[in-house]
Amino acid sequence: MESERLNSRERVLGLFAGQEIDRIPVFSGMGNVTVHGLEQHGWRFPEIHLDGYKMAMAAASTPRLFGFECAVVPFDMGVEAEVLGCEVNYYAHHTDILYPTISGKLASKVEDLEVRVPEDLESAGRMPVVAEAIRLLKEDLGDQVAVGAWVLGPFTLAGQIVDLDDLLKMSFKKPDLVNGVLDALDELLIALASIYKKAGADYLTVREMGATTDVLSPRIFGSLIRPHLERVFAGIESPKILHICGDTNTIVDQMAQCGADAISVDQKNELAASREEIGPDVILLGNLDPYGVLVMGKPEEVERSVKEIIGSGADAIWPGCDIWPTVPAENMERLMATAREYGARR
Amino acid sequence: MVSEDERAQIIEKLKRGVIEFDEDLVRQASHEALEVGMDAYEAIMDGLGAGMDVVGELFSKKEYFVPEVLMCGDALYVGLDILRPHVVRDESSQVVGEVVIGTVEGDVHDIGKNLVKMMFEIGGFKVHDLGRDVPLDKFVEEQIRTDSDIVCLSAMMTTTMLGMKTVIQKLKAKNPNVKIMIGGAPISAEIAEKWGADGYAPDAPNALQEALNMIKGLREMRVQE
Repeated sequence: MESERLNSRERVLGLFAGQEIDRIPVFSGMGNVTVHGLEQHGWRFPEIHLDGYKMAMAAASTPRLFGFECAVVPFDMGVEAEVLGCEVNYYAHHTDILYPTISGKLASKVEDLEVRVPEDLESAGRMPVVAEAIRLLKEDLGDQVAVGAWVLGPFTLAGQIVDLDDLLKMSFKKPDLVNGVLDALDELLIALASIYKKAGADYLTVREMGATTDVLSPRIFGSLIRPHLERVFAGIESPKILHICGDTNTIVDQMAQCGADAISVDQKNELAASREEIGPDVILLGNLDPYGVLVMGKPEEVERSVKEIIGSGADAIWPGCDIWPTVPAENMERLMATAREYGARR
Repeated sequence: MVSEDERAQIIEKLKRGVIEFDEDLVRQASHEALEVGMDAYEAIMDGLGAGMDVVGELFSKKEYFVPEVLMCGDALYVGLDILRPHVVRDESSQVVGEVVIGTVEGDVHDIGKNLVKMMFEIGGFKVHDLGRDVPLDKFVEEQIRTDSDIVCLSAMMTTTMLGMKTVIQKLKAKNPNVKIMIGGAPISAEIAEKWGADGYAPDAPNALQEALNMIKGLREMRVQE
């Protein structure tokens, strides 16, 4: 580690700036808190979602313990919906790992949905908590480690606040209705991203997993999803990443045209084929299986996977989704060691 | 008496109505089936159910996606609601079997689970749907309360599926004869076997077949007692 030319922050930001960097970065735009970090502080999982200091320290523990090249907040997917008035279940009394979920939708039908954006977004829901966590992270390790933040994409967020079945059917039957909702959510997400950026986030990821082709046809991706992603990316500052997990093989070309600086895919994506399709200039991030390999696999499988990703033409080794907190320490260590050994650049 | 031609035509319309998510066609064909005195169960299974089988294939071939499948399901329910009250069963059982179904705690995805539920309803099962994000103990409580033959667990995420292992253990401890089936995107036959589930299905039509096999097995067991 000491012998590398760049520190991890320089490496990550250098990647986005199109500079020559010394080795392939290993980082994420999504959650990567571990139980090892929680144990250090003696905190239970539910605690780290509600307090800015705990959120920051929990996020910082992953780069601190393993040399992972980022600190990312928040961890759960309830922040945006909560801002709009949804209730979040934090599973406060659980001892095992359960990510917060949305326990109440705003409407069961899209036609009845009213998106009410609070006047003062900076004070809404848990925005103050996440913004504080970003600020604390910048103070704590901001010159060494890149700080990432993220928001859900408009379609995915829509699926949280209204009955998903109805949203999906209306996407087919009444797209204009859905477009109206997505327009409002585009604005919200641009504003939330701006708050994170102001707090000091170095890079922003937009997570639109609801738009995977496991769920929607590529045709609907093009007509309904993409215009909104283009709008969101036009409104947020670089560096900005578009992430979609699940099957993205038939939409990766469209993903590369949404206005993001980089695209992120998961293990279902055929990375080498995607690279062929989008060409050498698009920053491609992925596609480590964050649970099947990183958590459940042996260190040898982690090593194998990392080498494969390096060989496929990805620009960074980046997990396909949140890293599940129970990830074995030895797997995180092998992840970093393999990248250092095999990922040197020119 | 229904002529073979008439029967075939109605079956075809029911099937096509489901495949083309045409609620009006399904409604019209369902009423027609009743008017000519067709066997309602046959109309459901060979018409609506068969249509849903094709929809499943179109989904695996990535010609249909989730919105289409949901709309086909809606069309199917139009027919099911009309035909189901007219299904005649023999005296031995009014209901084929009873099933508890739900998505495990921490998971809020339920589209797949709802499709499985629909297949069970087509097949004549009585379904106790616990919904999604169901606390693990609730599965056990509900099985005891309803004395259901089968409990079906669904999870969409690799991380939430871990709860299934616990539910299986708890259920088997209370009632070793209850049959447990698990399913969902991250589930496989190997995982199901490893965790002690009695059955696994990769999709909704297969779930129904598994369930029918389970019920048959349970009946044979009871006869032997």
